[in-house]
Amino acid sequence: MATSILDLSAQRALDSTDSEDSRLIEALRVGAAQAYEELLGRFQQPVYSLALRLLDDPSEACDVVQEVFLKVFRNIGAFRAQSSLKTWIYRITVNEAHNARRWFFRHRRREVELDSDPEESRNWKEIIPDGCPSPFEVAFDREKHVMIEAALEKLSPIFREAVVLRDIIDMSYEEIAEVLGVSLGTVKSRILRGREALRVELVGSLKDQVAPRLVPKTAE
Amino acid sequence: MGCENVQERISLLLDGKLTPVEREHVLAHTDVCRPCDTYRESMETQRVLLRNLAHAQVPKALATQLRVLASHERERQLARVSFGTRVRRWVVNVELAFDNLMRPVALPVTGGLVSTLLIFALLMPKLSFSHETGAHEPSLKALSFFGSTFPTGSLESSPWNQGVDENSEDPPRFSSPDQPTADPESDYVNIVNLVIDESGKVVDWTVVRGHLTEEITSIILFSRFQPATDLGRTTSGTIQVRQGLLPCKYRRCSATVRG
Repeated sequence: MATSILDLSAQRALDSTDSEDSRLIEALRVGAAQAYEELLGRFQQPVYSLALRLLDDPSEACDVVQEVFLKVFRNIGAFRAQSSLKTWIYRITVNEAHNARRWFFRHRRREVELDSDPEESRNWKEIIPDGCPSPFEVAFDREKHVMIEAALEKLSPIFREAVVLRDIIDMSYEEIAEVLGVSLGTVKSRILRGREALRVELVGSLKDQVAPRLVPKTAE
Repeated sequence: MGCENVQERISLLLDGKLTPVEREHVLAHTDVCRPCDTYRESMETQRVLLRNLAHAQVPKALATQLRVLASHERERQLARVSFGTRVRRWVVNVELAFDNLMRPVALPVTGGLVSTLLIFALLMPKLSFSHETGAHEPSLKALSFFGSTFPTGSLESSPWNQGVDENSEDPPRFSSPDQPTADPESDYVNIVNLVIDESGKVVDWTVVRGHLTEEITSIILFSRFQPATDLGRTTSGTIQVRQGLLPCKYRRCSATVRG
């Protein structure tokens, strides 16, 4: 007799998330103070991360985050739960980032910041991962992260969105398709081409750098 | 399966989107093809590096702004529950806007108002002007109680009265219009009320009976009287001049000078 094992844990997790979202949405609609706090606690970090990766400018990202939450609060009454709450909020974030980029391109691209080195304006905590690595590892990691972020900035916005949502935010292909409002095939294509373009940028950056040479010497 | 096809599928392999058959083919190819294997490793490393990019911490200022935004939107949502709540919220907003508008000017306005009232209160007594009391003069008793008097009948100066004998036949007599006198008005042919200002000059007259005689006219034009006082200060008043044409034997006459 064949026995099949049906894994319900994923489905159960999904159902649990859906019920959590429904409860939160209802609480927001009636104006419960706790619901607003909970929404901010769950989504302000990932929304800010997404906005920052899409825009590369912390001040622009802050503006976009505020716009996103303003739209969420004002339109929560009209949310019909056709997609998950997370997907809906990320969709708003991507659209707002897109608008901000368009506005920046039209109005501010000729401006030059006095503080021209974006690296100096960033807190080192934003770059170095958790854990207690050695100073060499810290410096090496920092170098790698700087390179990746620089390469990410050079990607086309369309590909960058797909790569950030998949590889940084860790959304599924289906969720990405919902957020971007495109088909699954388009998502696959954009992720593939985005990763390829990023790889080319990284290889180019590595070639431009002079590799350190370690020469063994005896102690004197 | 060629290298180009394999490299296109490596991205899907990393995300677990290949069918089992396709996955087997790709792995089999990368086992024997070094460039494709290197490509697969580089894509895996790149993916790991992207995953390891630390999530940027939300700036504290942004977190605070988001809380303020949430608070405003919650209040806005609650205000839309009923019309009454909306009106109450509108009233509160108007009051707040008015307070914020007036707060910078409240102190200067209050100070200006108070100082203006104070200055006017101090200056007003000095801004007095001549006026007629007319028929509303209080009685002599009341005026005396408050230290006030009518204009006295004593002439301070008069071109007519210089060298005139008061015992002459028909001298003018002065009294207050309201003051009772020994001689009734009926004994006199000419009675004229004179309005005396603060300096004792005649500023107006009214013929009560008879007509203006030459003497009375001279008094009006050239005389100065002791002015009336009101609470110690000179003020205008009224004095009555009585003069009769008939000889004394036809009337009850006596020299009356009252003030």
